[in-house]
Amino acid sequence: MATTATPAGGSRNGTGPEWGGFEENIQGGGSAVIDMENMDDTSGSSFEDMGELHQRLREEEVDADAAAAEEEDGEFLGMKGFKGQLSRQVADQMWQAGKRQASRAFSLYANIDILRPYFDVEPAQVRSRLLESMIPIKMVNFPQKIAGELYGPLMLVFTLVAILLHGMKTSDTIIREGTLMGTAIGTCFGYWLGVSSFIYFLAYLCNAQITMLQMLALLGYGLFGHCIVLLITYNIHLHALFYLFWLLVGGLSTLRMVAVLVSRTVGPTQRLLLCGTLAALHMLFLLYLHFAYHKVVEGILDTLEGPNIPPMQRVPRDIPAVLPAARLPATVLNTTVKAVEVTLRSH
Amino acid sequence: MIMEEVEDPITKMIQPQQPYTGQIFQPTQTFTPTTPQPFYGNSFEDEPPLLEELGINFDHIWQKTLTVLHPLKVADGSIMNETDLAGPMVFCLAFGATLLLAGKIQFGYVYGISAIGCLGMFCLLNLMSMTGVSFGCVASVLGYCLLPMILLSSFAVIFSLQGMVGIILTAGIIGWCSFSASKIFISALAMEGQQLLVAYPCALLYGVFALISVF
Repeated sequence: MATTATPAGGSRNGTGPEWGGFEENIQGGGSAVIDMENMDDTSGSSFEDMGELHQRLREEEVDADAAAAEEEDGEFLGMKGFKGQLSRQVADQMWQAGKRQASRAFSLYANIDILRPYFDVEPAQVRSRLLESMIPIKMVNFPQKIAGELYGPLMLVFTLVAILLHGMKTSDTIIREGTLMGTAIGTCFGYWLGVSSFIYFLAYLCNAQITMLQMLALLGYGLFGHCIVLLITYNIHLHALFYLFWLLVGGLSTLRMVAVLVSRTVGPTQRLLLCGTLAALHMLFLLYLHFAYHKVVEGILDTLEGPNIPPMQRVPRDIPAVLPAARLPATVLNTTVKAVEVTLRSH
Repeated sequence: MIMEEVEDPITKMIQPQQPYTGQIFQPTQTFTPTTPQPFYGNSFEDEPPLLEELGINFDHIWQKTLTVLHPLKVADGSIMNETDLAGPMVFCLAFGATLLLAGKIQFGYVYGISAIGCLGMFCLLNLMSMTGVSFGCVASVLGYCLLPMILLSSFAVIFSLQGMVGIILTAGIIGWCSFSASKIFISALAMEGQQLLVAYPCALLYGVFALISVF
C-alpha cells in the first residue's frame, strides 16, 4: 500500500509498519478481546491507532484532491492518461482503506452478541418479575436486587406500542406530520430510553448505586402497570375508572421503583430528588398517554346515534352493556355496506 | 500433431518414429469449428426446468403450508433448512389482495411491516438462540404463518370485525399464527421451554397485521 501511495504520501512511510502491526494484532476476526502479549509496545490504546488512521486517511484524501486537481491540469496539458490512472488508483486505495476501517469498526462495536446475556431468560422468570413489579417492598436498608435483563422490558415497550396503536385506531386519531406507527414507537421508546438515561444521570449526581442496564430494566418493568391501565381504559371510557386505576395501579408500580431507588441511595435530599423526579415523570406519562389518544372517541360515539345530536359533547359516557336487538344488524355489517344502506335510505 | 510433439515430450519419446510433418513457424489452426446445432441442442436439453432453476418446489411449499394450518401437528425441524421466499411472497400478496377487496389499499403497509417485523425477529432470535438463524429462514417462517391472517381479512370483506365476534375471532387467529410460528422456530432452533417467549413477539407482529385488517 505504501508503494502505490508514494507519490501522494511519500513522507508517511513511518506509519506503514505500525499500521501493519496493528492489523496483525487483531485476532479472531474482529472480536472485542485483545491479546496483550502480542501487542506491539509502541502502539498505545486502540483509540490512538484509530486516530492515527483517521489522520492518515484525511491526509490521503487531501492529497487525492490535490492529485485530482493536478490531473485536471494534466488533462489540459494533454497528459491525461498517466495522471488519470494514478488518481484513480489513489481513490481506489482510499476507498478500500475506508471500507476496511468501517467493517472492522462495525464488527467490533456493533456486535449484537454483546447483548446476548441479557436475553437469557425463562418464561417463569419473566412471569414472576412482571408480578413483582407491582409489589412495592418496604425494605430500604440495604440495596434491593434488580434483575438485569432486557427481554421483559423490551417486550413491555412493544406491548405499549401495540396498545397505543389500538387506542389510536379505535379513536380514529389522525396524525398529520407522520404515521401512527412512527408516533407510537417514538413515544414509547423515547420515554423508555430517554427517562432511563435522565434518571441514570440524576442517579450519578445523587450518588446512587445503579447501573444503566438496571435502570432500563427497572423502568421497563414499571411500564407493566401502564399497559394494564391503558388496555382497560382505552376500552371502557369512564374518567372516574381511569383516575382510580391511575392512582392504584400506576401508583403501585411507581412505589415499587421508588422503593428500589431509595434502597440504593444515601441521604434524604438525594432520595427526594431522585424519587420525586421518577414518580412525577412516570405518573404524568400515564396521564399523557390516556388523554392524548382517546378523547376523540366521545365525539364519534355521539354522532353515530343519529343526525340531531350536537357535534362534540365532553361528558363521560356509559357504554350500554347489552346492545338493543334492533341495532344488531347495523353493527355486524361493515362500513361499506352501512354506507350503501344510508345512501339507499336517503334516496 | 505439432502441438502434441511440442507440448508432450513424453509421448514424443514413446513414439519416436512419428515423422515430423508440421510447420514450426506457422501457426497451426487450433480452433476447429464444430457445427453449432448439436451444441445448442445439448445445452438446451441439459438445462434444468424453470421452476427448479428458480428454486420453487411446490411439494415443499405444500408441506410447509400444511404444517402451518395444522397447529397441533409436530413440526419437523429440517423443513426450514431451505430458505423459500416464494410462498411468503404469494401469501403477502394474497393478504394485500383480500384487504383490497375490503376497500383498503395498503400493500405498502403490509410489505413495510413484514420487513421491519422480520428484522426485529431476526435480531431477537439471534440473541435468544444458541445457534444463530439466517434472515431468510426467519422471513420464510413468518411469511408462511401469515396464512391464517388471510382467512381473517377475507372474513372482514363481508362482516365487520369490530364487534365481540370480531374481537374473539381476531384473538383466535393471532394466537393460531403465533403458535405455529413459535412451534416451527422452536423445533428449528432447538429452544425447548422458550416457546412462550418466542410466541409473544410473534403475537405482537401478527397483532399489527390484524389491526390493519380490522380497522
